[in-house]
Amino acid sequence: MDNKEERASHRGGQDIINQLSVILRTAQIHDAANIAVTTAIEKYLALINPLTASEDVITLELVGEYFYINDTRVRYSLEYLLSFDYLVREFRKREIGKVIFKDMIRAEDMRIFLKAFIAAGYSETPYEVMNEKMAESNTIDVDRLRKIAEGEAVDTRKVVKKAYYNAVSFTKGVMTKIKAGEKVNIKKAKRIVESMVDHILEEEKLLMGMTAIKDYDEYTYHHSVNVSILSIALGQRMGLSKKMLTELGLVALFHDIGKIEIPAEILNKATNFNDDEWKVMKKHPAWGVKALLKLKGMDHSSIRSAIVAFEHHMNYDLSGYPKVRSYPELDFYSRLVSLADQYDAMTSSRVYSRIPLTPDKALSIMMERSTTQLDPLLFKFFINMVGVFPIGTLVMLDTKELGLVYESEVIFADRPRVLIIIDQKGQSVNGPVVNLTEKGESGKYLRSIVKTLDPNKYKINLAEYLL
Amino acid sequence: MELSEEIKEARDILQNIVKAKKTFRMYLQNNPIYMKTLEESYAKFRNFFDYKDSLSLKIKQNSISYDSEQIYSNQEKEDNLALFFFKDGLRELTFKKGMLLEELEEFLKITAMDFDRDAVDDDIVILLWERDFQNIRYVVDESILVDIDDEDYATSAEEKMQEKVTDVNDLMKAYTDGFMEDEVKSISIVPLADKDLQMLVKELEKDATDKVGKLVTILFEIISQADMKSDIEETVTFLNDAVRYSMTHGDIQTVLHVMKNAKQTMDDPSCPDDEKKYLKMMPLYLGNEEIVGLLAELLDSGIDIDVKIFEELIDFFDKNAIDPLVKYLGELKTIRARKYVIDALTVVGKKDIQALSGGLNDQRWYVVRNIIYILRKIGDKRAIEYLLKTIRHGDVRVRKEVIKALGELGGREVIQTLRECLDDPDMHVRASAAKAFATIGSEASKKIILDKIAGKEFREKDFDEKREFFEVLSQWKDTDVYVFLVKILKTRSFFNRAKLLESKAGAAYCLGLIGNKDALPLLHKIKDSSNKLLKDFSYTAIRKLEYGQ
Repeated sequence: MDNKEERASHRGGQDIINQLSVILRTAQIHDAANIAVTTAIEKYLALINPLTASEDVITLELVGEYFYINDTRVRYSLEYLLSFDYLVREFRKREIGKVIFKDMIRAEDMRIFLKAFIAAGYSETPYEVMNEKMAESNTIDVDRLRKIAEGEAVDTRKVVKKAYYNAVSFTKGVMTKIKAGEKVNIKKAKRIVESMVDHILEEEKLLMGMTAIKDYDEYTYHHSVNVSILSIALGQRMGLSKKMLTELGLVALFHDIGKIEIPAEILNKATNFNDDEWKVMKKHPAWGVKALLKLKGMDHSSIRSAIVAFEHHMNYDLSGYPKVRSYPELDFYSRLVSLADQYDAMTSSRVYSRIPLTPDKALSIMMERSTTQLDPLLFKFFINMVGVFPIGTLVMLDTKELGLVYESEVIFADRPRVLIIIDQKGQSVNGPVVNLTEKGESGKYLRSIVKTLDPNKYKINLAEYLL
Repeated sequence: MELSEEIKEARDILQNIVKAKKTFRMYLQNNPIYMKTLEESYAKFRNFFDYKDSLSLKIKQNSISYDSEQIYSNQEKEDNLALFFFKDGLRELTFKKGMLLEELEEFLKITAMDFDRDAVDDDIVILLWERDFQNIRYVVDESILVDIDDEDYATSAEEKMQEKVTDVNDLMKAYTDGFMEDEVKSISIVPLADKDLQMLVKELEKDATDKVGKLVTILFEIISQADMKSDIEETVTFLNDAVRYSMTHGDIQTVLHVMKNAKQTMDDPSCPDDEKKYLKMMPLYLGNEEIVGLLAELLDSGIDIDVKIFEELIDFFDKNAIDPLVKYLGELKTIRARKYVIDALTVVGKKDIQALSGGLNDQRWYVVRNIIYILRKIGDKRAIEYLLKTIRHGDVRVRKEVIKALGELGGREVIQTLRECLDDPDMHVRASAAKAFATIGSEASKKIILDKIAGKEFREKDFDEKREFFEVLSQWKDTDVYVFLVKILKTRSFFNRAKLLESKAGAAYCLGLIGNKDALPLLHKIKDSSNKLLKDFSYTAIRKLEYGQ
């Protein structure tokens, strides 16, 4: 988005969502007649009415994690991150998918909306309550939250899988080529990362799901791509621009490139490394710097990549390796990539660590490392992104069903979507996918996670279920 | 609008894009032809959008179609718009109603790029993606990203993963064990707060700073940990690349950072010889023609330069920088830039006077004059032998400068040459030579000037030159000079009185400058001379002697 008008229109969309969130939050604390609410409504009307005047109808729609205004997706921005999340949560809670603003909106219409919104929050049939109360207004309508069609999701899954494997295949090719001293096509790397960025912006969960499937045989390539995906996803949660996300994705993709210099007998050693072997392993950050600077000479992206390649094992408190003399604090990208790196490494079965940790265990270890090895601020963003039970976690539900976490839930971090693989009767099944945010008539959750298990212990092939 | 009309307009639009592709390459943004082409293109789009909401083009290798109708075809490899789009995977382009002029301009700029030359790391799809146009959409065939050998990678990888079918018994065991596992301990996720976002904003602001400095720190760390000579050699090459990169980006502070670090490392007594050997070569890289050229470009660009940083950096230049600095001295466009280079040469030139003196052979008079100026500033007597060779330079400005330099450098070997210069055909050169003798200030010099003034030819010179000579003579405030001047004032002649009176005026002026009050009676005597020049200069001298004015 390069020109002023476009930026302004995006900004306008963000402002509308932010201000709506402000009104709702204020109205939950104060009475509708309170000056704070009235002022917030006035501000909102000043934003929405010029738009309804020119477009006749303004539709604010929630699809997945994102808001769309008249079919144009409103981008996440760092500034409004919390307002976005709040509104997503409140809309979901009331099963509202759309709010349609028609003609000139009056303060009175907004008060009707607020009243309905608050009342729906206490109802067991929130959408119905909301819809009924909104009948009083001629200018604001609501519509029920739409579920994404299964067919659509299947097709997207195919596209996302292709993008993922393209990236793995490319990474493998790059490493082979560098080793053979051949030229590497950087344009292609950019295109691949851009494609991943697009998928994360549109279908974050699907691509994130791909990172849960670990391939022991081609660990390094899969790991590089996984770290890239996790980093992009984290960057997107932080509101980084598309260009920055590409840059971040590229540096993350190449973070382990120095490993090409490690002799295969060490890299593929099945037992623990001895001191000498560790010494060699610890050289890969420096080797990565050289490989990257040789790859395409010195430019902005190779400099950033080289820094991350050098720093990704250094740790936030510089307690890792390589050991350095006097050193400034770690680069922002390095701190971010090392989170993704540690998480993916811990949850993967590597050659030298065949038994991976379950995602939730990995997260608890990372939590302990936060403030020492890991940047606490970035870790907070990370854990809010992956949730308490990241994709691929094997879970036992209180309904005596066994399932795999299929999609994380950003708003309700402990209530992901779960693919049932053993039903209540103890029968092996493939589905359905259940949403743990679903409540029964009594208002209680239908299902909750009570236990987590290690899928590797039982040789459960995640790919079989997640692909 | 009829379909045939639509197709005609679409074809017209495409032809305009082809035209703009060429125009945008040839002309700058502010050129009227550039502007006209852009406006014409935009007008054509606007006309089209009066009837349709979008213009969608299908791209094949050698053709472009609108609504199944081929509207562009080209079988050539060069200047083929279809191929230009196609080769990067672009298969469909859609321009939507509402497209802004700025969007079209950006799009045309992208099409005008020569991706084989201009942008090594980009292609058309990358740039379209980065621009993120709101009203220009495109469809890309991503299969071009997959190598033929890897085409089946996705299928085989997926198949391989699917092959490892989960054993039902294992699954059941998991289910049974699940009942015995401990209940989950909830990981408390602290939701993000405004404070976190503010901290993140600060982090991002910090992150926007340049990264080369960090990389340089890393490269020195790598050097300090290197086991092999080849590692050091390679890393020093990267440091040199960092110097070039920083210089290209106008960041001389980082260049200085690199050089300071190298020096500090070398000065460390624990620095191994191998390391020293390669680090010592860094100043040579800094002084090569390419880097000096980049520095010159930077100086000429008008960008603000921190004088202190510049001076510190110059200290790191080795003598190999002299030749390129001299070369660029002649090519720089701004006085400011030339001043910086002169300052640099004044420092670096000391390291090799002979090399610096090589600049005296330059064809451009101003370069020669600047080099003489630099040699004069350096003040190394070894320069005299080179300077003497330029004394017959064709340009008077050069001759004046070299005389000045020789005067300042002094020494017996310059006397004869300067004496010859007193007879130069150019009055200014003669005056400069006289001043040079004043600078030397020796008894021999005094004698030469006295002889010159006493000579028959002197009386015939212009008054301005005479005045210069007398001014020079005033440097020696001794009795010899006093007596000599008094003698001139007392001289009588019947022939060519006007010229004699000029010399007398000069002598009176000189007496004033010398400051010997003994001359006052004589000056008072002549102050009422009917010769205006003598009268004025006598008054001037009296005022100086009596009132110090």
